[in-house]
Formats: sequence, C-alpha cells, structure tokens
Amino acid sequence: MDRSPGELLRGYAFLLPLALFLAAFVLVPIGGTFVGSLMRDVTFLPERFAGAENYRALLSDPGFAQALRFTVLFTAASVPLELLLGLAVALLLAHPSRARGALRACVLIPWAIPAAVSGKVFQLVYNYNYGLANYLMNAMGVVDRPVNWLGTSTGAFLSLVLADAWKTTPFVAIILLAGLSGIPGHLYLQAQIDRAGYLRRFTRITLPLLSTVLLIALLFRTIDALRVFDLMFVLTGGGPGGSTTSLSLYGYNYFLGGDFGYGSAVSVVLFLIALGLSLLYLRVGRFARELP
Amino acid sequence: MSEDRQIRILYVAGALGFMAFSLGPILYMALTAASRRPDFLSRASGLEFTLAHFIAVAGTPSLHFLDNLRNSIVVSGCASALCVAVAAPAAYAIARLRLPGRAFFLLCVLAVSMFPPVSLVSYLFKVMGALDWINTYRALVLPYTAWILPLSLWILTGYFAQVPVDLDRAALVDGCSGLGVLRKVVIPVAAPGIFSTALLAFILAFNEFLFALMLTTDHAARTVPVGIALFEGLHGEIPWGVVMAAATLTTVPVVLLTLVFQRRIVQGLTRGAVKG
Repeated sequence: MDRSPGELLRGYAFLLPLALFLAAFVLVPIGGTFVGSLMRDVTFLPERFAGAENYRALLSDPGFAQALRFTVLFTAASVPLELLLGLAVALLLAHPSRARGALRACVLIPWAIPAAVSGKVFQLVYNYNYGLANYLMNAMGVVDRPVNWLGTSTGAFLSLVLADAWKTTPFVAIILLAGLSGIPGHLYLQAQIDRAGYLRRFTRITLPLLSTVLLIALLFRTIDALRVFDLMFVLTGGGPGGSTTSLSLYGYNYFLGGDFGYGSAVSVVLFLIALGLSLLYLRVGRFARELP
Repeated sequence: MSEDRQIRILYVAGALGFMAFSLGPILYMALTAASRRPDFLSRASGLEFTLAHFIAVAGTPSLHFLDNLRNSIVVSGCASALCVAVAAPAAYAIARLRLPGRAFFLLCVLAVSMFPPVSLVSYLFKVMGALDWINTYRALVLPYTAWILPLSLWILTGYFAQVPVDLDRAALVDGCSGLGVLRKVVIPVAAPGIFSTALLAFILAFNEFLFALMLTTDHAARTVPVGIALFEGLHGEIPWGVVMAAATLTTVPVVLLTLVFQRRIVQGLTRGAVKG
C-alpha cells in the first residue's frame, strides 16, 4: 500500500500528543534527575556543579549499601514466591468448577486496593499485642510467645515479603491464566489417551508452553519489586534501623531531607538497574509477541 | 484413591486456602473498623459492634477523609479520561495505519513504563514548585497521565487491531474522512476496549502513592492513599478503629468496581502484559 508523505505525516501526527506527554513528564524529568545527580544541591546551600562527587560518596555509604542489599534480597525473595503462588492460583482459576466465578472475583480484590491502604491493614495484622498474625499463630499452637514481626529486621523482612505476595500474586495469576488458556486443549486430551498422569502432563505440556508467559511475569514483577516504595513507607517505615529501606525509599529520604543531588544519584542508580532489566525484557519479549 | 479424586481434594483445599488468604485481611480490616476496640481478638468481650469509627471518619472535618476521597476521585477520573483521549489516536495510528517504525515506537513506550517513579519525582517537584503547581490537581493529573499512557497504548493497540480493516474501507468508500472513520466506526467497535483501559487507568491512578506524597501538601489535593498513610493519632498511638474505617470506606468502591467489571479488568491486564 503506497502512501503519500502527507498521509504518513498525518499518521505520525496521531502519535504526537502521546510522545509529547511522555517527553514532558517522563523523559525530561529523567534527564533532569541525571543532571541533578551531578550537582551539589542541598536546600539553603548555594548550588554548584559537583561532577561525580555524589556517586563517589555512594560507594562508601553504608546506608546505600544496606538499601541496595535489601532491595535485591526483597526482590529475590518475593518474586519467586509470587510466581509460585501465582502459578498455583492460575491453575486453580483454570480448573473448571462451580466455584470458578467466585475465585476469579476474589483474585482481583487484593490487587485493586491501594498498597498504602493494604500496608496499613498489614501493620495491624502484624501488631505485636493483638494483631491477627500472632493471634492465628498462637491459636494454631505454632508459637508460645508472640512474634515481634515489625520490631526485628528478619521479622520486618518476612512481613514485607508476605504483604507484597498478598497484593501482587493476583497480577501474576491473571497473566499466567491468560497463558494457560492459550494452550490448545487437544494436547491434554492426547496426553490423557496416552495415560500420562497429572504431574507428567504438568511438566511436559503446561510448563514448557507457559515458559514465555512466565518469563514476562518474572520480568514485570522483578522491575516492580526493585522500585518498590509505598509498602515499606507504610508498613515498616524502612525500619527497624533502616534494615528494610528500599532504594526508592532511601532516595526519597534524601529528597525529604533537602539533599536533592545525593537523592538524585541514588535514583539514577535504581533507574539504570531498571533500564538494564527492561532492555532484557524487550529482547525476550520480541520473540513472544506478534505486533499488530 | 484415584488420581481424579486426589486432584479434586487438592483443588478444594487450594481454593479455600486461597480465598482465606485473599479475603482474610480485608475481613479483619472491616471487623476492626466496626469494633469498639482494636484488640477484639484477644478480649473475652469479643467484637463490640459500633459504627462510631465510620461516623468519625465521615463526620470529622479535621480528618479530611472526604476531601481526600474527592481529590482521589477527581484526579483519577481526569487522568483516566486524559489517558484514553491521548492514547486512543496513537493506538489507532499504530494498529491501523501501518506506519513505518511503529514496533520500535511501541517498545520504547513500554521501556518508559518501567522507569522507577523515584527517578522522576524530584525533578517534577522542583519544576512544579517553580510553576507554583504543588498541591493542585494538575500537579498529579499530568504526571499520572504520562505514567499510565504506556499501558493504555498497549491495551488500546490490541483492541484496535481487532477491528476488521474492511469496516474502515467501507466507511471511506461511503465518503467518511479519516477522523470520521475513527469516530464513527473504530471507536464504537472498540468501545469495550476503551472502557477497559479507562477503568484500569482509573485504578492505577487511584492507587498511586509516591507522586501524591511528594507533590501535595494538604487536603486541597492530597489523595486517599497518602491521607491514610500519614494518619497519626494525637498521642503517637495509631487510632486503629478510625484508620481501618477509612481504609474500609476506601476499599468498598474499589471492590465494587472490581467485582462488577471483573471481566473487563482481566481482559485489559492480560492484553497489556501478554498479548500487547
């Protein structure tokens, strides 16, 4: 189909508002943050160019190292857990039964509630004296003394992973469910005729055919986990002792304290990590999708 | 025991466990909100039902809960409408006009959606401070729109690609202009997709936290998530009943929206993430 340059130009004009929006409110701010990270920019002090000063300071900053370590550990703990749970839930949702409608309705609710609100609810769930978590564990006889969920660094870490899994497992499950429904049913029928057991059908048919979708879910969730902010802000406040401060929260704390240069340097590091992963996603995703 | 029976038992146990895990915290939130004291689990008196916390949340002007809720609804509604208005023409062009470079454009837009918000917010804070926009609706609506545009574009492109091209052709033959085709043919056919996108955009904007935290200062523009997160009692002790009542009142509309439009949301999510 041949088209005149004028026609093509009109076509690109449809993209213009979107491109302008992204440029003005995403790309320019990213550039601004990058420039800001090269400045010494502290409230009430004269602003000056600082070169790599902020980045050099990052290298010897134990707080930054702690935030980086926590962010990586949190991602490494929560993402695999969410993928496993999400896969289990997706299998539940795909199973034909009378309860399927009710289950599908339930699955979205934790996802739809603002993380700040569910974070507040979990803060009460983990309350030392009368929270639901300690009540249940005590009632089931798992522990004889209440667990100090939010007061110890291990407890706070586990609390965050569990609360995050609660909120984001639905998202994973729904993506995987779409992948499951794309698997042709005759494969299973054939396998049943060949008397392949459930486990065999799962490992030989379901998992291999789901691998692309699993990879997409993995990368989406990894990037979300790396940039997590609101859950820590609300549930643990980054504590105790800064042990659950994510990189986003660490950067934000510097903005709050008026040190925009240093906070920007922290954000740039996080940005580069996310960018690297999204480039990886685009490489993988290219095989997965047929563009319209 | 046959394998079918084993799977059935596993299924029922899994389904019940999952429902308890998903709904337990929500039920706990609602019960705490309706209980006279937050420690009702460990008290002999149990749950002493009261509506006092709900009345306090809705009826105490100094808590600003209703202001925050109004801000949230206005901001999310505007961002959602703007998102669709900006993304729909772009999605139409990508899906229907076969522009050279469209795949590259889509991938770049997707990459943009993966940037961490914290790496934008300090610059936005400074610029909006200079423009005197801090604590206004537009300080949230504009960044939210930009933030949710990539997902909207991906979802809408998928929907527009489904409308048969023959429909456009027929309309063009009948003397419709290009924009006329979009307005009279493509948009009506893709209306469910547009609705899904608007709904998802609304929920995402409603749930956003970091921009709202940094770009608002008080009840004139502060949204519900930030309002609830910053809720503190007078003496350091968190007034759990009131906080949970606010959380419940926020959750109810979100849950209703989700239950009513479950199918649409699932469709939108899977199109955005998997099928593109």
